[in-house]
Amino acid sequence: MTTAIDIRDVTKIYNPNSNQPVKALDSVSLTIDDNEFFTLLGPSGCGKTTLLRLIAGFEQVSGGEIMLFDDEIENLEPNRRPVNTVFQHYALFPHMTVAENVAFGLERLKKPKAEVQTTVERVLTLVKMKHLGDRHPNQLSGGQQQRVALARALAPSPKVLLLDEPLSALDLKLRQAMREELKQLQKETGITFVFVTHDQEEALAMSDRIAVMSDGEVQQIGGPTDIYEHPVNRFVADFIGDTNFLDGEIVDIKDDLVTCRIGSNSMYEAENSGGHTVGDHVTLFLRPEKITLSDASDANQPDNRPGKVANIVYLGNQAAYTVDMGDGVELVAQARPREDGKLPFAIDEPLAVGFSARALRVLVQ
Amino acid sequence: MSDQENVRSASNKGKKVLPVGHYRGLGAWTVFFFVFLYLPIVVLVFYSFNSNRTVMNWGGFGIDWYLKAFENDGIQTAVWNTLIVATVATIFATAIATIGALVLARGGNFRGKTVSLGLITLPLMVPEIVTAVAVLIFFSAIGLNLGLGNVIIAHITFCIPFAFMPIRARLEGMDTSMEQAARDLYASEWEAFRYITVPLLMPGIVAGAMLSFVISMDDFIITLMVGGAGSTTLPVYIYSMIRRGLTPEINAVCTILLFVSIAIVTAYWIVSKKSETKTVH
Repeated sequence: MTTAIDIRDVTKIYNPNSNQPVKALDSVSLTIDDNEFFTLLGPSGCGKTTLLRLIAGFEQVSGGEIMLFDDEIENLEPNRRPVNTVFQHYALFPHMTVAENVAFGLERLKKPKAEVQTTVERVLTLVKMKHLGDRHPNQLSGGQQQRVALARALAPSPKVLLLDEPLSALDLKLRQAMREELKQLQKETGITFVFVTHDQEEALAMSDRIAVMSDGEVQQIGGPTDIYEHPVNRFVADFIGDTNFLDGEIVDIKDDLVTCRIGSNSMYEAENSGGHTVGDHVTLFLRPEKITLSDASDANQPDNRPGKVANIVYLGNQAAYTVDMGDGVELVAQARPREDGKLPFAIDEPLAVGFSARALRVLVQ
Repeated sequence: MSDQENVRSASNKGKKVLPVGHYRGLGAWTVFFFVFLYLPIVVLVFYSFNSNRTVMNWGGFGIDWYLKAFENDGIQTAVWNTLIVATVATIFATAIATIGALVLARGGNFRGKTVSLGLITLPLMVPEIVTAVAVLIFFSAIGLNLGLGNVIIAHITFCIPFAFMPIRARLEGMDTSMEQAARDLYASEWEAFRYITVPLLMPGIVAGAMLSFVISMDDFIITLMVGGAGSTTLPVYIYSMIRRGLTPEINAVCTILLFVSIAIVTAYWIVSKKSETKTVH
């Protein structure tokens, strides 16, 4: 597989000569494959947007190299880099029509007039905006402006398309619809997409691979299921999805299972991810959807433990139950409302909490 | 808190806007204020249509004094001088102010940025007579004697801060992501400036230019000091007319000056309204 972007040891320090230098990226290395939908995911201030701006050329690297296919680009002006950006607030030119906006990049590249016109029509058709080519940006809705921004960035056929939280300004329904369209668009055009977001759901839904970032460093790179099911550390596990964390100490190791003491003396078995020794302080994590709640009479079944409902948060399609497991341990689990709309368990009701040892994973602290 | 106070604070929360219009006597004061402000001007315009020789004795409606003013060679020269000075000064002042505003708003952080900003706007607060005397002494010290040129140079200097302010305000409100988007779409720095920055900045530049044109057009103190014989502008000429005795001709000239100013401001207002509907933020 061809590598589209190769980030090598890139460091970015803002205000290096002032008395308050800010290290936004700390020798980050990653590769993005050609044709890939790659997402940079992390909380605000993690350096994901800085990395995108370094690729686009709006910022200069403090150290390291950026390769675009076989060319070193980190010192090129933005207009010399064959990448285009979809900006967070679209940055459409207000004094130009939609068609003029889309044609801007092609005209700067000195494409022949006829070619400019056919390309503009083609990309506007691609984003379903052909009928609005004569409008000005302020006559368009947010979703329409989004499409124009996409068309404008796609028109010059960039080698890589950079998207800086492009969906964050849209309302929920539109955002969900645009997710699918973006994914579809990436498949149709075959262009490598580098997508920046802080929304983990967005990242899981669209990406081929995700790089989770925090504090200027890449925490983990992998496919959506890797990241969700096998987070390498507590930060990743916590940032992606809802999770129960259980802090404890390893007391026994048997081939593929480790036994941990949680609380004062509760034993939990978890999958052995390797490299642990007895006496290690570790964190176990357990996704709420891996837990089944059932009647208290099931508490003696294998893989079940007794518990008591401590709190309920009703979410419509489901309810989040906080279950008191005794010994100071609390787990959050999910349950669907019954067919008549009533919730299956009430507060303070005893119940059985079922989960397999395979669902618990060990995170190194 | 008593119940009554509770009710009052609750109803205030809903409205938020202080109903100042309901204060007793405020309406009358407002009317008085506007009368005080505009009555003299109304009177001036009214008596410009007086066909009598003396200003304050109404002798019937007539436009004789307008015709007389148009035929007056002194007024004609003064009008020409005023237009030349205002036009040239506006062009230079606006160009300099635009460059200055670009450097201060987009030039990043550099040493002396705050000081520069202060120095550009300071002339607005310096008493004009001080500037006038200073410029006069400076010109005679270096032996500069260009006639109307001296007046133009002096006007450029005091017009710069007036042109600068609206241009800078516009730039500050402009998102740098527009220029970045242009650079991203293969525009060189110059092309991004030419196709994006300048068109978006234009309302600010036009506002700055109109402001400095109006300021230059009615400047009196500096022009009186700096302008020698033959470089008399309209305000200075009007002043000399008054010393020779009041006739409605002065009213007529002032009325024309007034309406030219109003026309410029109105033109700007229309232009800016139009561009506002085209701009999104």
